[in-house]
Amino acid sequence: MKPMFLPEVENSPQPGGRGDMIRQMRNSGKEYPQIWHLFAYRPKATDLLGGFTQEIMRGESPLSPGLRELIAAFTSAGNHCPF
Amino acid sequence: MPHITLPEGLPGIRGPLAFRPETAKPLNELAEILLRGPSTLAPGERELIATYVSSQNECFFCQSIHGAVAAYHLGGNEKLVLDVKQNYQSAPVSAKLKALLAIAGKVQKGGRHVKAEDIAKARQEGATDLEIHDTVLIAAAFCMYNRYVDGLATWQPDDPAMYRARGALTAREGYGKTA
Repeated sequence: MKPMFLPEVENSPQPGGRGDMIRQMRNSGKEYPQIWHLFAYRPKATDLLGGFTQEIMRGESPLSPGLRELIAAFTSAGNHCPF
Repeated sequence: MPHITLPEGLPGIRGPLAFRPETAKPLNELAEILLRGPSTLAPGERELIATYVSSQNECFFCQSIHGAVAAYHLGGNEKLVLDVKQNYQSAPVSAKLKALLAIAGKVQKGGRHVKAEDIAKARQEGATDLEIHDTVLIAAAFCMYNRYVDGLATWQPDDPAMYRARGALTAREGYGKTA
């Protein structure tokens, strides 16, 4: 995997869900998406983004989760974000 | 006229936030932690970053309200807020904040515009990884808030006095604390 711009973000996953997942993958020598590092670095802020995403993507809505994910994927494609 | 029926009398983002409280809560809490939580960047500096990104996105409400919050934190210096929006390179702010504003400006154009040399420049001016991280997250979050506010064509009053008063209140009390 290519190093991220900020080594401190990559090297200091905080304890918790994402940090544990990173350690597991590293220990077994597997690759994982680096967005995990973003979610493990500053969980007080990024857990809110996780909660927001859960609500808007999976919360009660007349739009099906599949349709909502299509909107997200379409927007990400428009933003040239392959992940 | 907003594109959808929103609660009346609430300017800018406050309309859609009241419309959908479930998503309002994390959005307010994110603004609170990013702009007012513990940080080596002063609240005024962080509000300047938010204001600059909002002005690049041409979001009238967000640049007005966060510009007012920034000015309050900066001892009422509305001129400095204007200078940063118009040409931060010649504004009387620190070299570190200029380097962070440059990164924020690139995030506003698209994340992939940020290059290793932009990060190196910020580090050279003394920015820490946490400060660079938070700058990118503030810029990205404000692109979301700006698009949320304008994508629904929210009501955005012109009166600077409204923004000044509300900005002072937000600077003192925080985000999502007052109706």
